[in-house]
Amino acid sequence: MNPGVTAPPTRHLGMTAQVVLVLAVVLVSVAVAAVAPSLRSGAPVTGFQRIVQGTVPQFVVRCAYSHSATDDPIVFPGDPGASHRHDFFGNRTTDASSTPDSMLGAETSCQQALDTAAYWAPTLFDHGVPVVPQGADVYYRPGPRIDPTSVRPYPHGLVMISGDAMATEPQSTNFVGWACGSGGDPQVTAPVCPADAPLRLKVVFPDCWDGHSLDSADHHSHMAASVDGHCPSAHPVPVPQLQLTVRYPIHGSDHELQLAPGSMLGGHADFMNAWDQTELASQVRLCLNRVLVCGVISNKAEDVDRPLPSRS
Amino acid sequence: MNTSRTRVTLVAAVLAIAMVLAACSSGSSSSTPAEPGTKASGHTIAVPADQPTIQGAVDAAGPGDLILVSPGVYNESVNITTPGLTLRGIDRNTVILDGEFKLENGVRVLGANNVTVQNMTARNFTNNAFFWTGVKGYHGSYLTSYRTGNYGIYAFDSVDGQFDHSFASGSPDAGFYIGECFPCNAAILDSISEYNGLGYSGTNSGGNLVIARSEFRFNRAGVVPNSGSYELCYPERDTTVVGNLVHDNSQPDTPAIDVAKLAMGNGIILPGGHDNLVIRNQVWNHERVGIALVPFPEDGPKDQIPTGDALKIPCSEARNLPLAAKDTLPGTLLWDAIGNKVQGNTVSASGIADLAFGTLTGSDDPLGNCFSGNAFTTSAPASIETTMACSNPSGAWTGTLDLVALIASERPASGDYKVQPVPPAQPNMPDAASTPGQPAANFPEKLDIDSIPLPAKP
Repeated sequence: MNPGVTAPPTRHLGMTAQVVLVLAVVLVSVAVAAVAPSLRSGAPVTGFQRIVQGTVPQFVVRCAYSHSATDDPIVFPGDPGASHRHDFFGNRTTDASSTPDSMLGAETSCQQALDTAAYWAPTLFDHGVPVVPQGADVYYRPGPRIDPTSVRPYPHGLVMISGDAMATEPQSTNFVGWACGSGGDPQVTAPVCPADAPLRLKVVFPDCWDGHSLDSADHHSHMAASVDGHCPSAHPVPVPQLQLTVRYPIHGSDHELQLAPGSMLGGHADFMNAWDQTELASQVRLCLNRVLVCGVISNKAEDVDRPLPSRS
Repeated sequence: MNTSRTRVTLVAAVLAIAMVLAACSSGSSSSTPAEPGTKASGHTIAVPADQPTIQGAVDAAGPGDLILVSPGVYNESVNITTPGLTLRGIDRNTVILDGEFKLENGVRVLGANNVTVQNMTARNFTNNAFFWTGVKGYHGSYLTSYRTGNYGIYAFDSVDGQFDHSFASGSPDAGFYIGECFPCNAAILDSISEYNGLGYSGTNSGGNLVIARSEFRFNRAGVVPNSGSYELCYPERDTTVVGNLVHDNSQPDTPAIDVAKLAMGNGIILPGGHDNLVIRNQVWNHERVGIALVPFPEDGPKDQIPTGDALKIPCSEARNLPLAAKDTLPGTLLWDAIGNKVQGNTVSASGIADLAFGTLTGSDDPLGNCFSGNAFTTSAPASIETTMACSNPSGAWTGTLDLVALIASERPASGDYKVQPVPPAQPNMPDAASTPGQPAANFPEKLDIDSIPLPAKP
């Protein structure tokens, strides 16, 4: 076993059983929708949805890692190098001077070629070295308890940020969290993950729009999260709840992790809608409005960074 | 697994509601006209004569219409939301939907019941070739799928359907997939699946689901349904795999998702499946195991394993059940293979064992699984038909299953789905140009399982 790799569970199992366990574990890619605190706790329902995939309508996009840069076309437009380091997914051309119009028709790192939107998150460092993400999974769903038939596509050019890069206190795990594997529960701090369910950053974006602004001065206030299935009156338009899950090849305990803003508390992600707008509208209409599951991530490759057991 | 009192109560309540609803609907159905699209309208739209594009024809069509497509390469991604359509190519091999590795799906049937797609080819799509989701009644027939980035021919959250006379090749996940349904009332018949990560896969499907008279060859792994609470309608159960040719599923250069790489070299393997019947299949040439019943430990489960009456809840109701409380869930949930029967198969030339069973219970309980009447040479445990005979399914076995070799070798990386082999020309459906529209209202066809024989090697 490599150093830093969690030992397989032993319980009372013999070697053969352990092998079977490992075999069976690796036979499965366990990837579940993001998990929220129990819906039965009486707390307001907002953000992360603790559900089994296939329960609510969704469409999904799986994206490879594209590139990294100290750019941020939302916060520091036209100012290359002004930002902390970000990892970009989706649109291949994203840089400090990108605009939604400049990105249309570009290449994308996503499996869905018409998803030319830009997604980005702060770079994760391990012992001071940038971690190259394995990719990102993007889920588009109605917000929790939102009437799926009421969801409208984002307008072309809408930008969003979820999470606070400068957070010094733990952020709500309803919107930003660390987890093991695609199905793991989000936590404030990065857990020690097993090899077959490595580290993920999960960010849920707000699902209600004010109906007119593509951006706002603080890049947040034109959007809001629904609560208990309702959009607030100042943000009356339900839009898809976007969940970005960034997948890292990080497992085991031999890590010293830090996010680009300087603290592991500063998890966040950005979105710039440069989808082929016709395709985005079609996906919203055909999948979310018709209350259909148009795809799941869970049966797709986990690309797990797993050591193979050595032959004894 | 212990089931909480709360869950039992909820399950009972849901069952009661379901019964009331069933009673209501059956009471009113006699006075309700047939659902639109369950019968052919007699109206035909020709592509490109009447409409230049397939999507144009679909959009112009009404329920029960026939869309008849002439030979050509159509760079389209077709979405169908009208019930009862029949979308048919005049020639299976020259009516081609081509995504050019830019478009996502060849044909997507989105919540439209009774849609039939026949006699055409879809290739070079980044996601799936032919995909039904959220429907009651579907039929995919004489379809060819190759070079797709996810699945080939695929039904999800759908019931009362059939795939037949079809050919799926070159996808990293499954060539054929039927998932998230119970009871599925579905069949895959007379089809061929090759050069995929998995020949067949289906997570949490079953209930009158039959896979028969088909050939699964040159995939990483052959027939691989499984259970897991990461998607709805667990467990996988009550699937009959009968009369198939399953061979040479150790192909190292196919595209392959992670699961397919790990399952490589196995013919028919049921991780965590319940009450499946694997009978009269001809299985040969596998690097690892011919037919295996194995457990599936699910890391980070979403729910407990349902037991008792909860196993009878149809998928349509299961989505309304609350999940078990997070703090009651184990870190790893053990889905054992339970109640499966493996009978009358001929299995040969397996690297590790022709027949195999493994459990994580730590006891010698065979969990109601049994093996009888198979022609085979090697098994793990040894003498598997003595210790786990179907005449004595509760008997004890004391052998060990050494599966070290199953996971002890390097797996070749995924091949590129975009360069997988182009299938040879496939048979056409009879009288494609003159047969009326055929809404998928009576599927799957009635099968006499007992009459499906063990096929001879070709």
